[in-house]
Amino acid sequence: MEMSQSKNGKKIVFSESSFNKIAQSLQALKKRSNAALCIFADANGYAVSFSGEAKEIDISSLSALAAGDFAATSEMARIISGEDKFRYLYHEGKEKNVYLCSVGDDYLIIVVFDKSVALGIVRAMTHHLSLKLEDLLAKLRQEAETASDFLDSQFRELLSAELDKSFGVK
Amino acid sequence: MFIDRLRDEVIFKIVYFGPGLGGKTTNLEYIYSHIDPRLRGNLISLKTKEDRTLYFDFLQVELGRIKGKKPRFHLYTIPGQAYYNFSRKIVLKGADAVVFVADSQKERVEDNLYALEDLEKKLIRQNSSLAAFPWIIQYNKRDLPNIEKVKNLQVQLNFLNVPSFEAIAIYGTGVFETLRGAIRMVISKLS
Repeated sequence: MEMSQSKNGKKIVFSESSFNKIAQSLQALKKRSNAALCIFADANGYAVSFSGEAKEIDISSLSALAAGDFAATSEMARIISGEDKFRYLYHEGKEKNVYLCSVGDDYLIIVVFDKSVALGIVRAMTHHLSLKLEDLLAKLRQEAETASDFLDSQFRELLSAELDKSFGVK
Repeated sequence: MFIDRLRDEVIFKIVYFGPGLGGKTTNLEYIYSHIDPRLRGNLISLKTKEDRTLYFDFLQVELGRIKGKKPRFHLYTIPGQAYYNFSRKIVLKGADAVVFVADSQKERVEDNLYALEDLEKKLIRQNSSLAAFPWIIQYNKRDLPNIEKVKNLQVQLNFLNVPSFEAIAIYGTGVFETLRGAIRMVISKLS
């Protein structure tokens, strides 16, 4: 299961079946739109799941940048419309393009595709998926789960010791 | 914090906050260039032509698996300039700890205070506060001639007595101590 903090302070827990649903939806989006890579990430930039070629692309960095992209343009959204952020962002390159779509307040979809793919198809299919995922997220929203089950006291002690070893001063 | 039970990973978000030109990016640059390359990703730095942070810098560092679980740390800086106010709010969202990078120079006293006040306002909007949230202070630029004494900086900024670290980020002094301090702060809040 995956867990991340949502805007209202509650944590969404992705069961294995819901995680699989998301993964399958991303696969379907990738296949139908002919995109190179599709990522579902949270608004903090953590990649929850992805489908596609990840050899040349750093998924963590791309997800953080996509979340940052919404953050950077939020000031513009606020000035022109008073809204928190734009719903979609699109960047066109010479060979590859990236389309970003927010899913509710706390998640986003990132689609990387090359110039042979029509933007309209990516846009329509991503919009469709965002609505589907919003429904799924609404069902999953539940009371906060504590982190203590996953990160017990022994883990915390070992982590503290590992810090000195790996992040020591050279 | 993001817990990934399928991959047995836990990701913490640490945000370097503080006045513009205080050395937030320099901290990340030093960590990037002096940590074991196997433990870090790329340093993503978005700068303007004037070498100012455009909206944030991002660096992922990690530790080896502990009890089968991999801890990762996403380090972010926020842009110091006033007109990125709203962007700062969003970059701060979901942070597990904040490193407040203060500029030790006497002429930056007001800038430090303004940035700290800004941090507090943003935490309050997230239903938290400086008193409740895990944060630490780094007094940077200790090598410069016209600097405030640490005891004065403590009175001005550290009224909550959070852990503080002296640093010369450009030479790496205090940089890893600060990072470890921030992570320990996160860990202590988990229990």
